[in-house]
Amino acid sequence: MTNDSLLWQVRAFVYNHFADTTHPPSVDETAQHFNIDIEEASALYKELNNRHAFFLQPETLTIRMANPFSGIRTDFKVHANGKTYFANCAWDMIGIPVALHSDAVIEAVFTESNDSVQLEIKNGQITNYDLLIHFPLPFAHWYDDLVFT
Amino acid sequence: MLLFQSEEWIDVWCKRNNLERGEVLTITQVWELSKLWYHNRLSLDYHGRSIEQVAEIFKQASLTSAFWHGTG
Repeated sequence: MTNDSLLWQVRAFVYNHFADTTHPPSVDETAQHFNIDIEEASALYKELNNRHAFFLQPETLTIRMANPFSGIRTDFKVHANGKTYFANCAWDMIGIPVALHSDAVIEAVFTESNDSVQLEIKNGQITNYDLLIHFPLPFAHWYDDLVFT
Repeated sequence: MLLFQSEEWIDVWCKRNNLERGEVLTITQVWELSKLWYHNRLSLDYHGRSIEQVAEIFKQASLTSAFWHGTG
């Protein structure tokens, strides 16, 4: 049904748009970029969602997650390359500088205590190495409910 | 995945949500996992991963318990 070459080009476009702008492209922007109609771009977005390449808000064509990037504001703010990104979770806040191959300053909020913390990724090293990350669900269940995961 | 400053806070969260504790990693462990997981995420050549490829990444990150297995 879908052209896989174009499918993966769209995936890469979405990710690089996130990296360049800190937010995901709309389906209209993607259609325009590839000079395809909105119906085709919509079908490609749905297929990439089905393949877990990124995740749409339910019943919409708006990208909520392209891990490690978040399409909405969260408690995990990542400053890198002169831009401010939002990560989906504590793992993804570290994943953003890895994906960007950059240093970063991260502002995060602890679960339960709601205290704030700042950490830094610099020259491949991470500060605050005593912090803990809790994975509530085993890997086999990560995709059951991504927002909870 | 949730960020905590101590084991005690994890226990408080689990008790309040009536949930069993999952796996707890230091941020250094997650940093090593992230490097394996996300290093090529912007590449045109990244097309997702098979269960076997994910298992290999967890193995390289020394995450070998049943919690990290691909099937329940």
